Amino acid sequence: MEETVRKIMEPILSVENLSVHFSDKPVLQDVSLSLWPGEITVIVGPSGSGKSTLLRAVNRLNELYPHCRTSGSVRLRIHGESGDVYRGFMALSELRQRVGMVFQTPAVFPFSIQKNLTLPLQVYLGVNGSTLTERMEEILRDVGLWEEVKDRLRDDATTLSGGQQQRLCIARMLALKPAVLLLDEPTASLDFKSAARIEKLLLNLKRRYGILAVSHSLAQTRRIADRVCVLREGRIVQELDHEHLRDPDAFQTIIDVAF
Amino acid sequence: MKRVSDRIVTGAAWLSGGGLMLAAAVVIGFLILRGYKNLDLALLFGDTPWQAAIMGERPVFGGIWPAFMGTFYLVFLSSAMAIPIGIASGIYLAEYASRRLRSLLGFFVDLLAGTPSIVMGLFGFTAILFLRKTLLPEAQTCLFLAAACIALLVLPYVIRITETSIEAIPEPLRLLGYSVGFTRWRNLRSVLLPLASRGMLSGAILAVGRASEDTAVILLTGVVAHAGIPGSMFDKFEALPFRIYYLAAEYRNLGELDQGFATSLVLLCISGTLFLIAVCLQKSAEMRWKRR
Ligand SMILES: Nc1ncnc2c1ncn2[C@@H]1O[C@H](COP(=O)(O)OP(=O)(O)OP(=O)(O)O)[C@@H](O)[C@H]1O
Ligand SMILES: [Mg+2]
Repeated sequence: MEETVRKIMEPILSVENLSVHFSDKPVLQDVSLSLWPGEITVIVGPSGSGKSTLLRAVNRLNELYPHCRTSGSVRLRIHGESGDVYRGFMALSELRQRVGMVFQTPAVFPFSIQKNLTLPLQVYLGVNGSTLTERMEEILRDVGLWEEVKDRLRDDATTLSGGQQQRLCIARMLALKPAVLLLDEPTASLDFKSAARIEKLLLNLKRRYGILAVSHSLAQTRRIADRVCVLREGRIVQELDHEHLRDPDAFQTIIDVAF
Repeated sequence: MKRVSDRIVTGAAWLSGGGLMLAAAVVIGFLILRGYKNLDLALLFGDTPWQAAIMGERPVFGGIWPAFMGTFYLVFLSSAMAIPIGIASGIYLAEYASRRLRSLLGFFVDLLAGTPSIVMGLFGFTAILFLRKTLLPEAQTCLFLAAACIALLVLPYVIRITETSIEAIPEPLRLLGYSVGFTRWRNLRSVLLPLASRGMLSGAILAVGRASEDTAVILLTGVVAHAGIPGSMFDKFEALPFRIYYLAAEYRNLGELDQGFATSLVLLCISGTLFLIAVCLQKSAEMRWKRR
């Protein structure tokens, strides 16, 4: 049933034959995968297998490293139009705003909590004044951070705990109204309760966004993933869907073999 | 073993920190001790009433007011030339230049930094000689020329400090702006410059300090002992460091030497005030950048 639905729908993001080299060392080879709206795709794989590199290839962040070379295509579909982001589908800054990313280690701007959110909002959406404060509160409530920070919005964002910073990063990403979310181990630095909260948030968000996430926890992968891609030494060696995820032992066996 | 070396390092750190403070205290204390007696309105304005002197109604003879104003103009002019250009070049080197261009230009910046100030003065002097023979027969050494040469002297410090303080921002932070879609210019303006502003401030402070103390350059490019307050940028001028040098070299009695010390105190106050202004500017800019 699901399969037929998917066939009718077009993917929101499709990566085709993507290869990435860092100074002639292949890091990703011939990777292809697709992302459908309403689904969370999780990438798992050993450390150094190229998961973060894959995410950075989608919003073209790898290009900031001068010794990086990328080939293949990444097609994005937004408002019914689609195109290859490596062939001028949209301006770089728009791409990175449409394809939001949260890094493996929380990366807040070393400015006030408030400014972390308002800076991108002002720059892109031209929001100002009271609308700005309203938007900020709304987004902070979405990620469950409002109660914790409402009295210290002018404090430096680096004084927040790791988990709070990670949620602030998610908030900052959502503030830009993206279409696709790239999440590099979004719960890596969180205790289980905050992690559970973020998982719940993601399950909520997946209705509105295409989500590509990296996770190191197999338990978490089983809880949130609709599809799983196993990456090893820069290649996708296995793709799993709901069927494989249902039975924990079978899933474990497949993963063991793939790693 | 570990403990012993730890203690030695800690001790050495304390010693050098203390030594630095002691050295500064001794120098300043010595100046105050020798100079404070002469630190009065007469030192600044001689026999001229101070209101009239400040308003420029009456010329000042025997006071250091013309030198005070000369140094102020000189520092202001040369900073106005060197700081914007230096910061812009530093930004270019750190963010825009290709790797090869960066090392090539960096070499020239270092070359400029290694130029002794007397050579810079000679350069200015020769430039005027050349101008007199070619385009501008009535060109002469003047405030503008001195400021330009001093600007050239301090430029490499400003460039280098700006460049290194931008490059010192850790890579993830440098890339963060791009990940939320900032353009290069936006990332520079909203992220990199605020983070590097403290370093850039020390570049500016160094430039101001250097510009206010240098004697070798101005000696060859327009300073004279008795010029009064310059009427325009193309006049000769007096300057505090030159006045100090002159008093120290040619004093006729101990009173004049003590006047030299008092003048040094005044010079110290000028650069101190300029430092303070720079610090306040940077602090308020940083507040604005980080909070709102
Ligand atoms: N900027 C870079 N320059 C050179 N090599 C890089 C760069 N970034 C990543 N690599 C290399 O690419 C390979 C994949 O790195 P990547 O960060 O994508 O791994 P990962 O799967 O995310 O690992 P982890 O689970 O530890 O985060 C590694 O061998 C790494 O050394
Ligand atoms: Mg990674």
